[in-house]
Amino acid sequence: MWLQRRGLSTKREWRVKQVTKSNFSQTLESLKPQISQSDFVAVSLQKTGSFSAPWHRVLPFDTPQTAYSKARFAADKFQVFQFAVCPFSVRASKVVAHPYNFHLFPRDELKIGMPSYSFSCQTSYLASMAREGFDFNVCIYDGISYLSRAQESVANARIGNPIPSNNVKTSSSTPSVADAVFIERIKSRVKHWKSACRDSSTRADEALVKSLRKLILGSEEYRSRPCVNLDVCSEHQVQLVLEVLGEFFDDLVPLLIPAKGGGTQAVRVILTSSEEDKDLLKRELQDLEEEQNKRVCGFREVIDLISASQKPVVSHNSLNEFAFIHSKFLSPLPPNMDEFMCSLRMVFPHVLDVNHLMKEIGPLKKVTNLSAAASCLKRRFFVPIDMEIPHQASNEDKIHGHNVLKISHLLANLCSILKITPEMIQSDGGHLASALEGYANIFHPHSTNTEDPIDGGIKVWTDDTRKVSSEGLVFIWGFRGRMSAGGLKRLLQGSHSVFSEEFDVRMVDGSCAIVVFWQSGLSQTFLEAISSNWISGLLREMVSEGLRAAGYETYKKACRLGFWEADLADSLDKALEEPDHNSEADSEAKPTGPSQIYWSRDSIINLDEL
Amino acid sequence: MKQWPLLRSLSESLTRTLAAHSAYTLRFLSSATASPTFALKNVTKSNFESSLADLRRHVRDADFVAIDLEMTGVTSAPWRESFEFDRFDVQYLKVKDSAEKFAVVQFGVCPFRWDSSRHCFVAHPHNFYVFPRQELPVDGPSYEFLCQTTSIDFLAKYQFDFNACIYEGVSYLSREQENEMLRCLNSECDDEMSLLWRNMKEVRDTPLVSVADVLFSERMKNRFNEWRKELLQDRKGGSQFLETSNDMKQQFQTIFFKMRPALILNGFTAHQLRLIQLVIKKHFKDLVYIRSSGDGSYSELIVYIDSDNDKNLLMKEVKDGLRREAEMKIKTAVGFRHVIDLLSSEQKLIVGHNCLLDIAHIYNKFFGPLPLTAEDFVSSIHKYFPYMIDTKILLNTNNVLKHLMKNGSTSLSKAFASLCPQIASSSKNSGLAFQPWVEVEVQVDDMRSSNWNSGAKHEAGYDAFMTGCVFAQACSNLGIDFKKHSSSANLAHNKNLQKHVNHLYFSWVNGDIIDLGTGNRIAATTVCYNLKRRYPKILFSNIVIVWGFPSQLSSKKIRECISKAFGPISVTTIYHLDETAVFVQFSKPELVADFLVLKETLETIQDPISVLHPLSVLLEGGNTCAASYETYKEICSSPISKVMFADQAKAVGIKWKTKLIESKEKVKTQEDESFSKENGATDAASDPADKSKTRKIEDVIDNLSDDRISGSEIIDSLYAAQTKLSKHIRTTNL
Repeated sequence: MWLQRRGLSTKREWRVKQVTKSNFSQTLESLKPQISQSDFVAVSLQKTGSFSAPWHRVLPFDTPQTAYSKARFAADKFQVFQFAVCPFSVRASKVVAHPYNFHLFPRDELKIGMPSYSFSCQTSYLASMAREGFDFNVCIYDGISYLSRAQESVANARIGNPIPSNNVKTSSSTPSVADAVFIERIKSRVKHWKSACRDSSTRADEALVKSLRKLILGSEEYRSRPCVNLDVCSEHQVQLVLEVLGEFFDDLVPLLIPAKGGGTQAVRVILTSSEEDKDLLKRELQDLEEEQNKRVCGFREVIDLISASQKPVVSHNSLNEFAFIHSKFLSPLPPNMDEFMCSLRMVFPHVLDVNHLMKEIGPLKKVTNLSAAASCLKRRFFVPIDMEIPHQASNEDKIHGHNVLKISHLLANLCSILKITPEMIQSDGGHLASALEGYANIFHPHSTNTEDPIDGGIKVWTDDTRKVSSEGLVFIWGFRGRMSAGGLKRLLQGSHSVFSEEFDVRMVDGSCAIVVFWQSGLSQTFLEAISSNWISGLLREMVSEGLRAAGYETYKKACRLGFWEADLADSLDKALEEPDHNSEADSEAKPTGPSQIYWSRDSIINLDEL
Repeated sequence: MKQWPLLRSLSESLTRTLAAHSAYTLRFLSSATASPTFALKNVTKSNFESSLADLRRHVRDADFVAIDLEMTGVTSAPWRESFEFDRFDVQYLKVKDSAEKFAVVQFGVCPFRWDSSRHCFVAHPHNFYVFPRQELPVDGPSYEFLCQTTSIDFLAKYQFDFNACIYEGVSYLSREQENEMLRCLNSECDDEMSLLWRNMKEVRDTPLVSVADVLFSERMKNRFNEWRKELLQDRKGGSQFLETSNDMKQQFQTIFFKMRPALILNGFTAHQLRLIQLVIKKHFKDLVYIRSSGDGSYSELIVYIDSDNDKNLLMKEVKDGLRREAEMKIKTAVGFRHVIDLLSSEQKLIVGHNCLLDIAHIYNKFFGPLPLTAEDFVSSIHKYFPYMIDTKILLNTNNVLKHLMKNGSTSLSKAFASLCPQIASSSKNSGLAFQPWVEVEVQVDDMRSSNWNSGAKHEAGYDAFMTGCVFAQACSNLGIDFKKHSSSANLAHNKNLQKHVNHLYFSWVNGDIIDLGTGNRIAATTVCYNLKRRYPKILFSNIVIVWGFPSQLSSKKIRECISKAFGPISVTTIYHLDETAVFVQFSKPELVADFLVLKETLETIQDPISVLHPLSVLLEGGNTCAASYETYKEICSSPISKVMFADQAKAVGIKWKTKLIESKEKVKTQEDESFSKENGATDAASDPADKSKTRKIEDVIDNLSDDRISGSEIIDSLYAAQTKLSKHIRTTNL
């Protein structure tokens, strides 16, 4: 069945394949070639929450580092329930897409406390998923589990699955006395055991005698072959055992038994009956290992597929999405944005954010959500782009995971508007077409890199923006009761001489406001005034009432140290109490000088995202 | 070194699975044979109001009410699980953390009433789906809760319907939240007026700039003039309104608003409405512009008023209307808490099974934030629920019942199967009738059945039913004759129950019991669960907590290296909280300070001697931290929950590596409470079978331990096994 639809108005007809545990491996098979044949892979995540308090969301005055700290906090805390993946290509004016929506649940399949001991849910997120008709039972009963790359290696050690060992390095050095003794002991033990095995297999002993012999020899069975475990104390001894086995015994296959805390605990030696049997066993072991891997890494196999293909990955709000991807499927997030970028680039070399591309197009500058972008595009531009989904789609496939199609379609539209033709898009050999290169790997949600990519500037979406140095920003809190920005401004105006110059006040959350001093140096004067002994007049009155103030550095510190209190005021108080650890601060937040921030006259907190 | 309770719990878990299995088959059979099978009462948003009305009646008539809760998790980190090494205050901190972080998703309420004419109990099992949905918009942090992955998986295994919970669950407000909302409403209502006036002022200030605006304003002015004139004519002459053009009718509709003639403004843009507002303000003394809300939508109105007095009156009416509506909304949002208020106000006997955590959840979700100390918690809970019974305590502390349970597991399903076999198997003649079974009839809406048993284990409503049945039967076995019991008398005052009323397990692992009425702690009592014997006596002042040591260090190695430094009998116990942290209990309290000082010294002096020191094994890697038990308590009280204890300590903000104890005097004053456990070994029953069993296992262990070290080695490894096992058990409702 070929579904071909035009435009976004018919998106209800777009079918997304829903994937759970039951059809996962089958889906994986079809997804593999589709990823390798497509130009891009779009991804979109449905999470159980994003920010716990108003100020935890990324705000226009955030620097890349503070924005990342916020994304990191959310990614560690919340869970991904749906992961939509859509390999797609753009051909002429047509998008060929293969959308899948994977249902995930962090079930502890191996009973080792992974992938996640617990996770948070925001009721509003669950409620909005419910409004879309999401089936939580399917997700929790049949969702696919996963382990991150970092967790996988821990898991392998913890489960203690034997690892086949094939690479025997023959040591050139002459063995020490201790080694020689050890080698002799191993040799005689294995020899003794082998002959006993051969012996007993020919004799028909009584059951009791058999089991007694087993007990004495320490002999066990592995996949219906006799085997024995040789305890080792170090990796060096492992090497020695392997050498001995390789040298003197052809019919034995060694397996390494990992120790709980890493390293090797013992070498298991398996006796095979013939050369053919040995090959058979080796094949068996290999299959077993693959199967084991599949069971262990679960959904992460999809991530590995996308990564291996080196295709550009397209998303919306890439910072949040990739913070989650990194945290759940790669490894715990590093504290620093730069490390995150490096680590991510090793896995996904090209990440495109449609949100960022939209900033390149005038009318779309202010748009922050996908549906608004789609309707705006339809209104302002004539871009005839067809959607083609060559899926076997069944009627049960609901609309979940639709965003991934919207993203694919939007990207095609944007490329068309930006005059990036399909020929230029088609990437070859893992290199992103140079036309798109400039747009890749930009993670800051409010940045327009083309204007000033170096100074880490922050831009707000309105037309009426003014650049302000982060040094000109002061946070104030501790005022009585609920305050409006206007009220606060009026109050401040008469309190100190610095407020006779031009300044702006915005509420960040109910507890804290941010003051912008347009004239340089005034913020410093104010901060000094408020903490000095000569403070007088109304300002003194306000301070006595509990008013506090701090510069932008304090805000950065609160984010860096992870003081995610519900009220920004509490976090800033905590950050002020914290003594400065310069050495630590330097390593995490490089002194890049004051960041440039674009100040908007509009309300600072954009509430239309929900 | 008596390790028998461990072995017992091993066998327990085996029998439990077997029992669960047989219960299932039995239920399956019974549902095939017994005709009256109907589901218990499931309550969601849609039938909440009506169910609540019925429940009020049932609770009022009830002799006792059994409850049970299902939550999204129990512990927010492995090291927050309850340990034998938890002091009383730490136990409370762990319960508090759990109740604060996790959500209640199902709430079982089952009122039991003694029917004196039919000589049986009538039970009304209710299963409420609860979900902490945010029904009213408020500022501040969003509603959020934690899920423990294994608990969610556990619920899934018992076919919990997450969709029913999230889509249809009843939401709630705690008393504190409700008060806060009403407070906000009050201040908002005061604001409403000022807001109104301010808007008007601002409107007046803006001059009309565009020609279009001027024209539109003029047109509106004429319209309103016409309407007003008509109105006045109408008053004088009583003639009908003039026929107006169609589009006029659509945009202006005349109605009566609070007994006054008014125009509804339809289909205007916000800008146009602003202009209209301006026109009214400027040109009409006897018209007011009003924004009124009704049925969840706002409408813009122009209302005719007689005088200024009338205007004020109107404004007041509008304001009161808004307020009433908001109050109604808050009342609706109180939701499930009405059930709790009902239970509290009726002062009925509340029955639960190992229900301390349930009670903590009830407090946190429906009353307010949990108090900081256990003492405050206990006294305020007693105010809300003056009579409470824990069936698990009943079964473990009463000799008659213990005998009936054959000293076996007291998990709910096991207790139900052994105490109420006639209900569990749905057949009246199964128990050979040597015992007087208490009959329980189940009523759901209009359906009644005397041999009902069609619930599923770990469904809150059914668990509450089982708890109630166990309690009823236990009462009968304790010699309470319901036939003589008058319905007016409170069961809680019955002398046969006096020893157990308001006693709750504060920590099941330790067997610590608290009396809610007096706030006193009663020591672990039973021989059957005398867990104290599993460890040498726990002395909190002898304990250091060590974390961040090299991960491959086993208990045995830690014991070895400390023993080398402080002498062979210096270490009493090593207990792993998780793989990153251990408790080390020393034989003498002085050793705690000595250990911390030595550690500090070794870390500051980096000479060859300190490298070769036996303790340096423990300090390898340079991340090993140590402190006294008080620091453990401090870390437990943090709202943060990292999975590993070492990470937790870092996240809590601990930057030092060793926290020395200031003086030894202080150690003395912080003397632990475990002594109190000694006092109340009241029920220490001397069951001969029990004792012989103990001795046997003691012998085994004695034989195993050839010398002290290897003996303790075995114990260490047994502890590890025990932790794993108890982990498993704890997730299944004890």
